[in-house]
Amino acid sequence: MKIAHLLFIFSFISAQWSSESAHLLEKNRKEVGLFTPFKMGMNNGSELSINKFLMMPSVSLKQEMIMYNSWKMARIFRIEYPTPGLKWLQSPLGLEMGAPNKFSLISTQFSIPQMLSFYTEIIGTKGSVKSGQLSLNAGIGVALNGKELSDDATIDLPIIYPRLSVYYNDFIIKSGGGYYRQLTDKLYYLIDYDMYLMPGGRGRYAFEQQGLAAWQNSNKFRLSFGYKLIAGEYPFGAQAHLFPTINIQFGW
Amino acid sequence: MKTRYYIFSLFIMLFISSCDPLVTTFDDIEDAVLYQSNLLKEYPAKKTISVMTWNIRFGVARLDFALDACGDRVIISKGEVITGLDGIAKKINDSNVDIVLMQEVDVQSKRSSYIDQVQWLLDNTGMNYGVYASKWKSQIILADGIGRVDAGNLILSKWKLEDAKRHQLPLRGDQDGLTQLFYLRRNVITAKVDMPGTPFFAVNAHLTAFATDDTKQKHISGFKTILDDIVASGFNFVAGGDLNAIPPNATKTNYCFDDQCNPGDYNPDDKKGGCDFTQEISWLNDLYGKYEPAITLEEYGMKESKHYTHSPGDKLLLDRKLDYLWTNTSWTNAATHQDATTLSDHIPVTASWSVE
Repeated sequence: MKIAHLLFIFSFISAQWSSESAHLLEKNRKEVGLFTPFKMGMNNGSELSINKFLMMPSVSLKQEMIMYNSWKMARIFRIEYPTPGLKWLQSPLGLEMGAPNKFSLISTQFSIPQMLSFYTEIIGTKGSVKSGQLSLNAGIGVALNGKELSDDATIDLPIIYPRLSVYYNDFIIKSGGGYYRQLTDKLYYLIDYDMYLMPGGRGRYAFEQQGLAAWQNSNKFRLSFGYKLIAGEYPFGAQAHLFPTINIQFGW
Repeated sequence: MKTRYYIFSLFIMLFISSCDPLVTTFDDIEDAVLYQSNLLKEYPAKKTISVMTWNIRFGVARLDFALDACGDRVIISKGEVITGLDGIAKKINDSNVDIVLMQEVDVQSKRSSYIDQVQWLLDNTGMNYGVYASKWKSQIILADGIGRVDAGNLILSKWKLEDAKRHQLPLRGDQDGLTQLFYLRRNVITAKVDMPGTPFFAVNAHLTAFATDDTKQKHISGFKTILDDIVASGFNFVAGGDLNAIPPNATKTNYCFDDQCNPGDYNPDDKKGGCDFTQEISWLNDLYGKYEPAITLEEYGMKESKHYTHSPGDKLLLDRKLDYLWTNTSWTNAATHQDATTLSDHIPVTASWSVE
């Protein structure tokens, strides 16, 4: 149960807007990561991605588009239902440990309405992993019924704040890019960034820059570790954070 | 269950490790944070100075706050906080005080909608300068949805404040390490008031309320030691604060039954901090013995209920004295402002201090 708590938060963090390329998983290939969603290559030239933890369910579909000059293009559609997860964050351990309501990130004074968010994104990729692969993406997200959620019920923490902001602002714009390259037979590196714009919000932007090294033994196992630097604006003002990242992925 | 608790805490701490610490800790003595009003006013030196102490409950007046009252609200809206601060500023301006010793002032807390109350009070009162020392500063408090908090003690002055120091008091000794890490770091704040011709010290303290061991006794002793050091250095002082202790001649010493939120909540067999002062009743004797209180024990004994300064939560009927003013010289015109009972769960105490 304790591991589930941990995975849950990382999972919903990673399930959204993770930097990736316009390449799709090959048909019937499946991948899952400790902190990333389950992905599966489909028969019809698309890729399905599902958040493993059902308290923050989300499903996304990536589809191939026609090439644009030398850029391979894809589009992503995603739908997310945050209500059970946000309710859980109001009292993650329950009150069985007694008062205070330990680890609660949202006060129970707020009611969490039924909400949905929809995202669409276009991503373009150029080059190869061996010589260096550049990906650029841009997208928007909108939320339904977010007006019922109090503006004071935010979680003013890095990573989480911009990803939940759509439910407070109804709208988010996101863009990003990444450079992925193979260094040796088994070693790869990625440098990427994501920019979140939250017009009208109490925190209006978040910039996330990530660098990581990935060790890939085969196409069945991948270990990556690195850092994430975040500079963002929150309801209290601007702040920067730096923290380590790690992920283990399996494919078959 | 404990393992789950610690793993979850470790995860959160790893997750939020950042350029700034997750929880801010403090040296034994360090500089306090200096503020000034956006519009400085000219004040000449005075022969008699009016001093106020007031725990302002971070501007939420008597609202139903969960952590010190019986309600379930943790986040108070900006409009409600501004309304509360308006009442406090009006009281300060109407009282025309020269020095204010304030406790429970928020500067960047989610619970009070992130209003920098120090700057707000400076900009909305006749005060020119402020020095602030955090007692609770964390990027997140992992309970009740409290979120980010920066709350502490404040000295406001019409004259410039210098050599402002934050003096750390001992942490509570009756908590486990994890709770203690995220809990309050009580302190005493001192500053030299640079009144032309006669500088003196202002000292502000907010001592532990809920410790069930001898932490409060250590805090009172630490507060007195700071006052002793100021006198030894050749300066006079005006001091005060919310000492969370009742006078030694108080007629009632246990409020646990009165403070319970629901009938039956209070179990007399449980040791509960913050409401039973019976074992602590003599802890202020040294202060009363050495320094001059604004409200003397004789005065308090004669009109006890007129000098009550606190009642919890939304109970407007004041029922105990926790707030004090002290000096090494003498006071006149001491007053307990019970008319202000709607403005906070503590009320201000003022007195005039004759400059020597």
